[in-house]
Amino acid sequence: MKYKVTHTTIYNYSDQVPLCLNEVRLEPRDHRRQTCHSHKLRIRPEPTRVDRRVDYFGNHVGAFSIQDGHDRLSVTAHSQVEVAPPEVPAPEATPPWEEIRDRFALGQPPWWLEARQFIYESPHVPIGRPQREYALASFPQGRPWLAGVLDLTQRIFKDFRYDPTATTVNTPVAEVLVARRGVCQDFAHLQISCLRSLGLPARYVSGYLLTAPPPGQPRLVGADASHAWLAAFCPEIGWVDFDPTNNQIPGTKHITLAWGRDYSDVCPIKGVLIGGGSHRMRVAVDVLPLDEAAPAMER
Amino acid sequence: MSSAMSVALPSSEPPPPRASHLLADYRPPAGGVDEMLDAAGQVRPPWRGMVESLGEIDHATLAARWEQARRVIRENGVTYNVHGDPEGMSRPWELDPLPMLMPAGEWPRLSRGLAQRATLLNLILNDLYGPQRLLAEGLLPPELVFMNPGFLRPCCGWSVPRNRYLYLYAGHLARDNDGEWVVVADKTRGPSGAGYAIENRIVISRMLPEVFRDCQVQRLAQFFIAAREALQELAVTRGTPRIVLLSPGPTSPTYFEDAYLARYLGFGLVEGGDLTVRDNCVFLKTLGGLVRVDVILRRVRDEECDPLELPRDSAHGISGLTHAARNGNVVVVNALGCSLLESHAIIPFLPTLSRYFLREDLILPSVPTWWCGDDAAKEHVLANFDELVIKPSFPRPGVGAVYGANLSSAERQGLRDRILAEPQNYVAQQLVSGSTAPAWNSGELRPSHIALRTFAFAVGDEYQVMPGGLARVSAKEDSLGDSALGGNGSKDVWVLSEGPISPASLLHPAGTPVVLQRSTSDLPSRVADHLYWLGRHAERTEGAARLVRSIIARLTSETALSSPQSITALLQALSGQGRVRPEFAVLFADERIDQLESELLAFVFDATRSGSLAAMLASLHRAAAVVRDRISIDSWRILNGLRLELAPPLSADAEVPLGDVLSALNRLVLDLSAFAGMGTESMTRGPGWRFLDMGRRLERALQALALLQGTLVIPEADEDPIFEALLEIADSSMTYRNRYLTNLQLAPLLDLLLTDETNPRSVAFQVAALNEHVEALPRGASQLLLVSEQRITLATLTELRLADVGVLAQVDASGQRTKLDQLLGHTADELRRLSDEVTKHYLIHAGPVRQIGEIRPSG
Repeated sequence: MKYKVTHTTIYNYSDQVPLCLNEVRLEPRDHRRQTCHSHKLRIRPEPTRVDRRVDYFGNHVGAFSIQDGHDRLSVTAHSQVEVAPPEVPAPEATPPWEEIRDRFALGQPPWWLEARQFIYESPHVPIGRPQREYALASFPQGRPWLAGVLDLTQRIFKDFRYDPTATTVNTPVAEVLVARRGVCQDFAHLQISCLRSLGLPARYVSGYLLTAPPPGQPRLVGADASHAWLAAFCPEIGWVDFDPTNNQIPGTKHITLAWGRDYSDVCPIKGVLIGGGSHRMRVAVDVLPLDEAAPAMER
Repeated sequence: MSSAMSVALPSSEPPPPRASHLLADYRPPAGGVDEMLDAAGQVRPPWRGMVESLGEIDHATLAARWEQARRVIRENGVTYNVHGDPEGMSRPWELDPLPMLMPAGEWPRLSRGLAQRATLLNLILNDLYGPQRLLAEGLLPPELVFMNPGFLRPCCGWSVPRNRYLYLYAGHLARDNDGEWVVVADKTRGPSGAGYAIENRIVISRMLPEVFRDCQVQRLAQFFIAAREALQELAVTRGTPRIVLLSPGPTSPTYFEDAYLARYLGFGLVEGGDLTVRDNCVFLKTLGGLVRVDVILRRVRDEECDPLELPRDSAHGISGLTHAARNGNVVVVNALGCSLLESHAIIPFLPTLSRYFLREDLILPSVPTWWCGDDAAKEHVLANFDELVIKPSFPRPGVGAVYGANLSSAERQGLRDRILAEPQNYVAQQLVSGSTAPAWNSGELRPSHIALRTFAFAVGDEYQVMPGGLARVSAKEDSLGDSALGGNGSKDVWVLSEGPISPASLLHPAGTPVVLQRSTSDLPSRVADHLYWLGRHAERTEGAARLVRSIIARLTSETALSSPQSITALLQALSGQGRVRPEFAVLFADERIDQLESELLAFVFDATRSGSLAAMLASLHRAAAVVRDRISIDSWRILNGLRLELAPPLSADAEVPLGDVLSALNRLVLDLSAFAGMGTESMTRGPGWRFLDMGRRLERALQALALLQGTLVIPEADEDPIFEALLEIADSSMTYRNRYLTNLQLAPLLDLLLTDETNPRSVAFQVAALNEHVEALPRGASQLLLVSEQRITLATLTELRLADVGVLAQVDASGQRTKLDQLLGHTADELRRLSDEVTKHYLIHAGPVRQIGEIRPSG
């Protein structure tokens, strides 16, 4: 599948902002199933320069500052991305989950060092008994790894209610586990926390999801949202994505932006500023499939 | 806390006895290693020189010198802020008068060992922030990096200049049970203590000059000269490199040291808010604009250095600093990320890593250390609690070191469970008894436990080790810990030399041509702000002290009842300024003198009461503390010594004679005048002085206006006593008498106190001075027209010059002096506006930095 993704963020300030510095992770990274064909970042007011680099986890970062007074900042990322479907093995064919846990706990062959950093606590992902106990129901002794992770994904999907008012960026996983409500970010952090509490590597993925319009209605431009899910690691297979919010293994509708230990590593836009008074923020994401030519949907 | 080593005690502590008598009573604990005495109780050869030399100083001289030394420490305000101690700002640094000697024969190996260790730690940092071969080859468990909050991922994948991460290294040393020196902890973040070491050296070498000379002590200055030169070479830009010392500010435990080191090394002392990043370069915000910074010697925690990229959003940091360093536009010393190696869990791996990187064994062994992430080590730890001190692998708030032997059986079980649940999070070290050395303790020498903090600095491609350090002493062996300045006192460390000593001083580096400089406009805006408020607080305190002194003088004099109007009017002025409750003013009229007296006492002494004199004094102390590195040492001594003290001191319920209060107030007014004199006589006429003086002038004018308004607008029947009081408060009685003899009239009085530009106490004098100051402030070349603050001072001055004191003195039909009221009120309003304008243009370069709301994925 090919997509054109437009992600716009607009800040309006009540007072002038004399200086702001920002870091954006808005350029989709390439991976086994994804190629980013083009990417353009449009920033207004225009910064003198945008420094591009690759961060610790291999994500693309754009750094810029605006040093003239402004009361509005807009950042728009235009990307063209191609996503291939995953090859998912039969769940029963994967090794027992304890085997993966023990191999990470005991030895250290260099080839899975990359995954090993994702078994520890991180700022938004604690390791603890409640998560471990919740997770264990999906991981009886000897259960194949993939079967366990899929079961956990499904349980989170069923046990938790999607409720954007229930949580904020900083709601701890432990509270989400009790309240059984949240958004995609909470569910991703929770499942990562469950897996790491069992000693299994898991990482956080930020990206977009193509949403289908309600039956009979045209697709609305800008109605899509940024999305978050996770990936878990099995030495024989590599990383496999899981989306607990939609109870599925992401296929060609999920577009990956970046990954890291948790949200704090991959925040799409981060900035500090001076002044500005109060601010209002508007985000619009538009994922347009390029294959289905539908002129009516164009702006 | 042991009172033994405190220099904060009142001066009644008995003086040290004659050195020759010292030994007779000195008994180190049996079975331990003592630095001065060998097992047979004989003085070790390296100490003989000092013992003899000390013995030649007679008892009285030694006692007098020790008193003098303690006074120097108090007056210099050497402090160490203690966390959680609200009085922390004023806790003096505790120093023991007897130095710790390091024999010439022992030092070279320690020095080589410390340099080797710093070299090794720097190589480890290069690897972990670069290729991570240590992880890939299994030489270091990945937990020690990936679980370590000190591992800063934004600092990976780019190299620092000359591959130098670690510049300043501190090694904690103690003697193990066999008497060998071992390293107990490695400090890599930007360790403190080097400044205290040099301060200790200065105090003790002055106290014992002949002993210092006789002992052939290696000098410390060369170490600091080398460090300063090394930092200057790092500068990115050509010409005059700008090096700053980044401090967390006056609330930091080691702020005294930050300020001291900055001054000693000649670097600017800045806080996070003073620096800003533009175009990936770091700039200092000054009154004159932005000035590029090349090197930042930081005392701010790694993770707090950059709210944009590093984990902690902290006011101490500089947004964009990481990216500026990544671009090679600024050198951060120690490099961001160095605190990674402060984890004790690294220690067990150092011998292997030393062979891997250096192909050498460690010259200086570490204290035996076990990381519980290793199964065999964990078993050892669980089986040997009694001999171990158990610590978290990675520092976490609220989790400290635990002495296994001190645990109850329930605590033991709890710790065991926690270690079994999260073994990677625990590390344990063998308890070492350490050595003892004589410390001065209530009139005799007592053995005290010793730990050393030693320092190394990267110069060129190697590390230079400071020949000296900070000996921390403690009456109990387990309270030394490894915190920055644990224990309850310190000693100077004298590293003895066998060869001749070459003197060097950082204050006069030989052969270095110095570029002549005059005060420029690159004063940080924040400092200008602090100086401005210091001036205001000093004047406000003085004004209030003068006013209340006049009231008390009138209450205590026999003529009190004969001039009640003046007292009532002055009380009204006091309440009119919001200093005391309004009903206070009528107490005297009601003749409830007792109540009035206790109210006045509360106003003077009760610091918990807002607006009281004692509270003003506290504000003044705080204002002084934050600029202590910007004012002269003598000025600081005066401010640091400002006290409202009764002699004899106040006992609980005793009646306080108002006469005693009067003399306390007299002393305070004198000291404040001395500080004002220092400002006039000892400060260069740069922008710093201008802001200090502007604060003072503005406050004095406002005080005078309020006093005149409160006493003169509504005329009393007999005004002579009021006029007298006004002249006295304004210190202008003599001038008036010289001009007009005893003929008290309002018009000449108003001239003297309001419009006479030659009287340094008049309002017009203050406004004229303010006018001159705003003329001289730096401003852009494009501003040819008068700026708003110039307009204000010029208009106000003109209005005062045009005022007719004869007209102002007249009482109009309403029974009031309305014209006077209007002029005084308007002038005060304009001056307050001036304060706002100056603040807006010069003092607030930028508001607080904040993060913009993060967007979370809402899918």
